[in-house]
Amino acid sequence: MPLIFLLLAPLAEGLICLLLRSRLLMERVSIASAVINFVLAVIVARHVGRYQTMSVLNGFLFADAMSALVVLLTAFVALMCAFYAVSYLRADLEQARISSGRLKEYYTLTPLFVFAMFLVALANNLGVMWVAIEGTTLASVLLIAFYNQKPSLEAAWKYIIIGSIGISLALFGTLLTYYSAAHVVGIESIEGLNWSRLILEAQKLDPKAMRLAFIFILLGYGTKAGVAPMHTWKPDSYSEAPVPSAAILAAAVSNCALYGIMRFNVLTSRCLGPDFSGSLLLYFGIGSMLLAVPFILVQRSIRRLLAYSSIDHTGIMLVGLGIGSSLSSLGTLLHMVYHAISKPLLFFCAGNVQQKFQSAHFRRIGGGVINVMPVTGTLFLAVALAVTGTPPFCLFQSELTILSACFQNHNLWVGSIFVGCVVTIFAGFLYHIGQLNLGSPPRGVAPSESDWWRLGPMLLLAALVLLLGFWLPSPLYRLIQQAGQIIGSAP
Amino acid sequence: MFYDDIELGTRLITLMAAAMLVVQFLMVGQRLLPTAIRLFSLQSLFLACLAGTVAYVNQARHVYIAAALTLLLKVIVMPLFLNRILERATEKAEVESHLNTPASILICGGLTLVGYMVAHPFIKPHERGHSTLAVATALFLMGFFLMMNRRKAISQVLGLLTAENGLFLAAISLTYGMPLIVELGIFFDVLIAVMIFGILVYRISEIFDSMDTNKFRRLRG
Repeated sequence: MPLIFLLLAPLAEGLICLLLRSRLLMERVSIASAVINFVLAVIVARHVGRYQTMSVLNGFLFADAMSALVVLLTAFVALMCAFYAVSYLRADLEQARISSGRLKEYYTLTPLFVFAMFLVALANNLGVMWVAIEGTTLASVLLIAFYNQKPSLEAAWKYIIIGSIGISLALFGTLLTYYSAAHVVGIESIEGLNWSRLILEAQKLDPKAMRLAFIFILLGYGTKAGVAPMHTWKPDSYSEAPVPSAAILAAAVSNCALYGIMRFNVLTSRCLGPDFSGSLLLYFGIGSMLLAVPFILVQRSIRRLLAYSSIDHTGIMLVGLGIGSSLSSLGTLLHMVYHAISKPLLFFCAGNVQQKFQSAHFRRIGGGVINVMPVTGTLFLAVALAVTGTPPFCLFQSELTILSACFQNHNLWVGSIFVGCVVTIFAGFLYHIGQLNLGSPPRGVAPSESDWWRLGPMLLLAALVLLLGFWLPSPLYRLIQQAGQIIGSAP
Repeated sequence: MFYDDIELGTRLITLMAAAMLVVQFLMVGQRLLPTAIRLFSLQSLFLACLAGTVAYVNQARHVYIAAALTLLLKVIVMPLFLNRILERATEKAEVESHLNTPASILICGGLTLVGYMVAHPFIKPHERGHSTLAVATALFLMGFFLMMNRRKAISQVLGLLTAENGLFLAAISLTYGMPLIVELGIFFDVLIAVMIFGILVYRISEIFDSMDTNKFRRLRG
């Protein structure tokens, strides 16, 4: 039952917000529903942690540890963003960047967006999963075009065109998977694309079709995850969307797309052996990391910097998947969790700075953020260290796990490039964020910190970023381990 | 009766797939937007007939539903909707491409060859005339080419929709379509996508005074 409620709750929220007029009510509904979603996600995760799987509606909805993890992370990110959005949108309204009618658009589309992401993780049928991933694109396009300025429309157009091309490639891949299973499962049965069925028959799938299918899937869902060279929509969308939507895009949607890749990776490696899909994932992963480096070094805008950082992190996770040992699978999932916690914080800090200084360009902001906004500035420095993989923060741990798995498997080249990229990106990040924070602030900017709507979630996230590196609650760790066994390519 | 003849059914299917390919080439060479929309509608009509034939020949009942939905949405609703956007966004209704027509046609001929090469391993020798998959792949690739080559927002949408037609054709020729629930989901997504495209095109033409995506120059690096 919680699975059904998990899908109904955001839908209901969207409908209610569509009917509401008052801003205060919409804010309350969105927060209440985000809390409900999170509680339901925790219930599902606990249940799955105990009984391995759960399914309803004749197996139409299906959750194992992997889906439970994605649902939990999505609900958590959405919860943090719900709090932050209240204050952020109020400030936008005050600064007359949007009209009050726009608010309804935000509060109606965001729950639909969350609904689509839940469906991605909970759909048993890989075709329905495709429909849901396309749904995340459709629900977020108008959020990217939210400010209705020239750059935001341009970003939205780029997003939907590139996203649609990617998603139709993925549909072709899904179709080929269905074809490769047709002689095993039989044509015209709904079961023909069900994950729970396919995984049992994976060895019998048609290898010729599966090989082609995985290439299409990797290109398609890779576009959605922002893997280079299909990443070009990412910097634009992340810098034009309102900050809470951008945070959801960066921290939750990329997880959903990676989730799709992981599922097909398991099928492909069981059908063809781990080498084929593993080496493809490694190439694309390393490619994304390498691509991010120069753009981070010469970046001029905060939000685009964050986008390239997220391309880098997607690359790291693909490398982890590509290595394919059980250690690297664990590292990948830990990275997924830690990334989903640190990325929203990074976006929130950037959002505070951008609203305060009315610009996202390093040049125009000048410096001295830490003098103007002491808490935001401090957190910004800390989380910048965290996402570049500096100890004592949690991402250090996951990156180290992936790296040691890399050397364990004698992937010396991959390991060395990995280290090189991480170090260079660290230097670039520190240079930009240091300049932003230190020095004297431009004249005419009065020191003032944001309100508790924002600082609350930000401080909580910061605490988690530090804490989870040392101590993972044991149910969560068990869930991650279970999920690691699912995505580990060895049968 | 003629419709019990499977041989004839297969031939009809191949014929209609070929017609779809011809329409696609016409669309590549077409300069006027309203005509391009009509051509898309015509191509979808062939697709719907093809799906109906497949459903009849193979006794696959759920493909009838897909055929009916194609007829309703892609032949009637979407072209009407696109036409309305075109009327609203007042501009001269020419397509405008990056490459000129002969070069485009030449490239599309090449893409058709690529389609045949990709589909080759899947064509079973005992199923004669089973080249629909090759046509489908070609349509798919040419759709993407149209998206990249066109400058106007609406013609990019048309490119995407023809790619989508190619996908549907591939689905029919490989596995008699996808499971029904997936197919309904896909139709729903495509419909919503076209509506969102419409909203965006409208907003773009309002703010940029043009649907020309070449005026997009702000976001770089």
